[in-house]
Amino acid sequence: MRLFSGRISKKTILLFSCLFLLLVQACYAADYDQIFSDANDAMGSGDLPAAIAILQKVKPDKGDDSGAFVRSRMQIARLQFALKDMNAASASANEVLALYPDNSEALNFIASVKKEQKPRYVVFLEDCLRFLPQLLKGAVMTITLVVCIIVISPLGGLLIALGRISTFKPVSGLCWFFIWLFRGTPLLLQLFFIYYGLPSLGITFKPFTAAILGLGLNYSAYLGEIIRGGIQSIEHGQMEAAKAIGMSYWQAMRRVIIPQTYKRLMPPIGNEFIALIKDTALVSTIAMVELMRSADQMFNAYFNVTALILAAFIYLLFTTIFTFIFEKIEIRAGIYENR
Amino acid sequence: MKTANQPLLSLKGITKRFGALTAVNGVDLDVCPGEIVVIIGPSGSGKSTLLRSVNFLEEIEEGSITFEGNEIGYVKSKHGRRHLDAPAKICELRSEIGMVFQHFNLFPHMTVLGNVMEGPLTVQKKSPEAAREIALDMLAKVGLSDKRDVYPATLSGGQKQRVAIARALAMRPKLMLFDEPTSALDPELIGEVFDTIRSLGKEGMTMIIVTHQMGFAKEMADRVIFMEKGSFVAQGTPEDFFSNQMEHDRIQSFLNRIM
Ligand SMILES: Nc1ncnc2c1ncn2[C@@H]1O[C@H](COP(=O)(O)OP(=O)(O)OP(=O)(O)O)[C@@H](O)[C@H]1O
Ligand SMILES: [Mg+2]
Repeated sequence: MRLFSGRISKKTILLFSCLFLLLVQACYAADYDQIFSDANDAMGSGDLPAAIAILQKVKPDKGDDSGAFVRSRMQIARLQFALKDMNAASASANEVLALYPDNSEALNFIASVKKEQKPRYVVFLEDCLRFLPQLLKGAVMTITLVVCIIVISPLGGLLIALGRISTFKPVSGLCWFFIWLFRGTPLLLQLFFIYYGLPSLGITFKPFTAAILGLGLNYSAYLGEIIRGGIQSIEHGQMEAAKAIGMSYWQAMRRVIIPQTYKRLMPPIGNEFIALIKDTALVSTIAMVELMRSADQMFNAYFNVTALILAAFIYLLFTTIFTFIFEKIEIRAGIYENR
Repeated sequence: MKTANQPLLSLKGITKRFGALTAVNGVDLDVCPGEIVVIIGPSGSGKSTLLRSVNFLEEIEEGSITFEGNEIGYVKSKHGRRHLDAPAKICELRSEIGMVFQHFNLFPHMTVLGNVMEGPLTVQKKSPEAAREIALDMLAKVGLSDKRDVYPATLSGGQKQRVAIARALAMRPKLMLFDEPTSALDPELIGEVFDTIRSLGKEGMTMIIVTHQMGFAKEMADRVIFMEKGSFVAQGTPEDFFSNQMEHDRIQSFLNRIM
């Protein structure tokens, strides 16, 4: 008992001294609280100048209540900022800095006022410079994906096309099924299934592998149908003439039929590849950091729409370059048709 | 077994059906080496189908094809069903028989030289130099050496057909089949193609020619055959054929219509 009483008395002293301090604090702060609450009322009724006038009643006091002064001046600065009086706003923040040169809130505020006073295009350019490195990193990944699929999908598409026109029923049936499946379901679903679904069957892919697989299968299916159409559009006499000089079916395909499809296939395949550039944005949902994901990250971190605008421009740049390249290739591929 | 008088090509009972339609109905034909056979007949009588059967572009239901004394192109399966020989074998056979089509069917993506080289290069696996040499020879033969580097799209119809002939000849065939080689040509271009065929004949090439050009048949043919409804209705030398001594009414009416 004696032991306990000694401890309790220490605690009690501490408690009482705290209470006392709070009481003193409250007495001093009482009128400031009133000021802030009046200012709040004024703001609530939309009278910002009145609120500013009320807040200015808080005096610079190096004593116990410096917090209230800083709080009032920053509030004033924000209100002036809202009233677009940039000079007054920075003056208010500077009042704080005069007393507390290291106050980070005031420093940040002055920086953003400065930014607000800059011409819009300067702000935009600065944002661009800020976002560009990240976005370009993403863009490199986007282009890597696009190039991989541009290499893979025509080969896959050709196999599927040849399988589809095969007279061997199991092969043509299988290829029909493949096209039916991948053209008939959303690419997004296919990507989800490969990345999130297959692990439950014990098959796990890295995001990049899953992205290549999903896009590759989907685009092979689309190109398969396009290439089949191209092959079947070649006049029947070409195959007969090739056979008549002794070519096998595959020799005729490789030397005579398929080369003639290049020019016809270039416009639809070019369209597919332009769609592909945009479709790569879907892999941002399976943990791939490419252009869309980078832009999204920037946008969320800074809540700055410039990141999205910039990404749009990069996509446009890609699609424009591709359109141009495919036009050139198309002209090349059809050079024999010129009279 | 080769003998001097042995026919190069011997067809026995060739029959080709398309569903219920019998396009070629039991045709027999012997063609001797160096012989020029001209087949005439109304549209739909099965002339093209017959030529295509000889080149295995159509699979016949009945009959046999004997080439240089060997029956070719068809084998019996275990169940006794007859079907086309293995693809590789068929390709080999085709390369010995040249065929020229009504619509030329040149490969548009290859130059004239490329078209003619293609057979030796791809089928016979000759070196590019050797294939080129052969192709240049053949182009000289059809008189188109100067056109070797252009694409077919720039040629006239007559020139196209001559390139097609050179392309077939480049495989050194023993027999040439012509299916209406001038039907797609303007009248003034027909002559140059026939000149080319004529010079082939002088070199001793064996040919079966389907044509509606009676003047040509009269001049070139060793034998003229009239075909109707899938069968040979009459055949004979051009003299017999065009001297109005042929009895057959239908031949007469066909000839009257066409000449
Ligand atoms: N692939 C096919 N499928 C169905 N019927 C066909 C086919 N090819 C030809 N035929 C038919 O077979 C018959 C003979 O045709 P073919 O082309 O041999 O005649 P043709 O004597 O060459 O006629 P033309 O002088 O018009 O060329 C025709 O009735 C034709 O319609
Ligand atoms: Mg015909």
